[in-house]
Amino acid sequence: MRVATRLALATTLVVLFGLSSAAGETPAAVPLPPYAGAYQPQTVDERGAWMMADEAERSLRDSPALIGDPALNAYLQRVLCRTVGEDRCRGIRIYILRVADVNASMMANGTLQIWSGILLRMQNEAELAGVLGHEFAHFERRHQLNHFRKARTATDIAAWAGLAGGRYGPTVAFSAQTSIYAFGREQETESDMLSSRYMQASHYDGHSVGAFWERLMDEADATALGRHRRSTRFDRVSYFDTHPATLERARTFHAAAASAPGGGDDEHAAWTAALARWREAWLEDQLKLNDFGGTEYLLAQLGRDGWTQDLLFARGELYRMRGNPRDLIAAADFYREAIILAPDHAEAHRGLGLTLLRRGREVDAETGRAELRRYLTLKPAATDAAMMAALLS
Amino acid sequence: MFGRIVAVFFACAGLFTLAGPVAAQEKSAVRPGFVLKPGSARILLFRPRILVGAQSTGAMFEPNADWTEQARENLGKALAAAQTTLGNTVVVAPEAIGKAAARLAAYQALFATVADAVVEYQFFAGNRLPTKKRAGQFDWTLGPGVADLAKDTGCDYALFIGTEDQYGSTGRKIFQFVAAVARVPIVSGSHKGQAGLVDLRTGDLVWLNADMRMGGDVRDPAGASKRMMQLLEDFPGRSLDAAANAESRVATR
Repeated sequence: MRVATRLALATTLVVLFGLSSAAGETPAAVPLPPYAGAYQPQTVDERGAWMMADEAERSLRDSPALIGDPALNAYLQRVLCRTVGEDRCRGIRIYILRVADVNASMMANGTLQIWSGILLRMQNEAELAGVLGHEFAHFERRHQLNHFRKARTATDIAAWAGLAGGRYGPTVAFSAQTSIYAFGREQETESDMLSSRYMQASHYDGHSVGAFWERLMDEADATALGRHRRSTRFDRVSYFDTHPATLERARTFHAAAASAPGGGDDEHAAWTAALARWREAWLEDQLKLNDFGGTEYLLAQLGRDGWTQDLLFARGELYRMRGNPRDLIAAADFYREAIILAPDHAEAHRGLGLTLLRRGREVDAETGRAELRRYLTLKPAATDAAMMAALLS
Repeated sequence: MFGRIVAVFFACAGLFTLAGPVAAQEKSAVRPGFVLKPGSARILLFRPRILVGAQSTGAMFEPNADWTEQARENLGKALAAAQTTLGNTVVVAPEAIGKAAARLAAYQALFATVADAVVEYQFFAGNRLPTKKRAGQFDWTLGPGVADLAKDTGCDYALFIGTEDQYGSTGRKIFQFVAAVARVPIVSGSHKGQAGLVDLRTGDLVWLNADMRMGGDVRDPAGASKRMMQLLEDFPGRSLDAAANAESRVATR
């Protein structure tokens, strides 16, 4: 490309950006907060963002993964209201999805989705308050809308710079693209700070959230170790990271909590009671991830206050599924401990029976068949009843 | 160096939507042997998937709620008008609630997936699956479970309609023009539409029209009826005279 052409391009570029910023919509002087009453989105961009969110919320509402349990939903809504205040929490609809992964997210219109995998890993109500407060802050500060605007400007610059080419064009284009991610990370940090402040105001213990992040790092290390992979670095970010470094996030919450006078509640008992009905099912989902190291770490963390039958049963299943001869001995012990706590735990009898049969010794096999018979007596309508009966004949 | 490679990658991947050989693609197909006699069937229409917005200079989609609302209204009216020419009764499905809503959402998602598969693996001749190569073949189905959707409606077929329009913004058009001077072909805007008819007893996809370059501005009534005519082009069982009349009506507006 000749120098003259390139100069012309650069001039066009400058003129265009001058024009586009002048022609851009001026936002209202002091916009109402998005949680105010029946708030209606104001500018073209905000209305567009809310429309997309409305459509996505429709399909979320009809999703087969949705957990409809009224008690659990009411509990989460209560925790959100305590965290951010009764007047603000009414702008949010919470959707609990049965997905065995750690995530929660917020849409522009106040649709908050939270996955069962993150709930399974929490140990008290304060940790939930920290996550819900973080997501609420995204909504309160209109992060989705601002991120969209930032991305639009950055991709505009990248397009022109890419077209202009030359020595600096690609570098400018690359910087513009990565600036979108940097902007997103700043928003995440802002949400963490706001969440910390909410927790202080509602007298939740902010250290809990720091501890939650520390456990997530340890679990990721355990998973990596179990899969013979290199562990992740938690103290630095790369160009395309969407969130700040996990270590930094843990520190943010600890630092904020340290400066708060008088600590706070973690509401451990309320949390355990609210989650009791679901833990066994979510542990089953976790087992299907085929992550021995991570799951073993998770179970140990959940068992810190005592090993309950659901944890023992899950641990038995974990070891039986790996199935080395030594694992089968450990698995049989876990099932037996579960059965001591809950003699009518049908699946524990099934697991113990299958484990003993697989050990391959005739003396164990007889006990194993007795356990399977017990399973079929306790649960005659089990879906695998015919298969188990075949093992007995 | 690394930065340059990544930047060039981005430039190629997203920002420069180049003009591709879309014209080589087929647009619609009817299941062999399928005939829909005019006046014989009741067709159930589910909530159309309509999305309208602008395309930014860097090719990002900018959703526009006002345009989408206008398009929903205009396309609804255009379909009501087109109904008479289809020769069959179109029944608008009421909004489902509870379990029915979850089932409908699942089938709408399935239809979208199957329709995308048809476009990718059958309509695009160069990419055709070995099982889809026989001439005149059109064998796709959502499965007989679809019958549940039609319970208590007395309908024989389900009609799915979807459109997605991205109008090139001023910035995008200027970018396209400047790029053309530098001999880089850039596409401004994108207009996709899809309409499909599913047999509610068997679940078979009996007709599909999927066009990646549609005409008609859905934001105004005349454009919306032109779009609806294009969407319902080759609709099986449509009486030819009525179709011709409808088209001439649109043309004179």
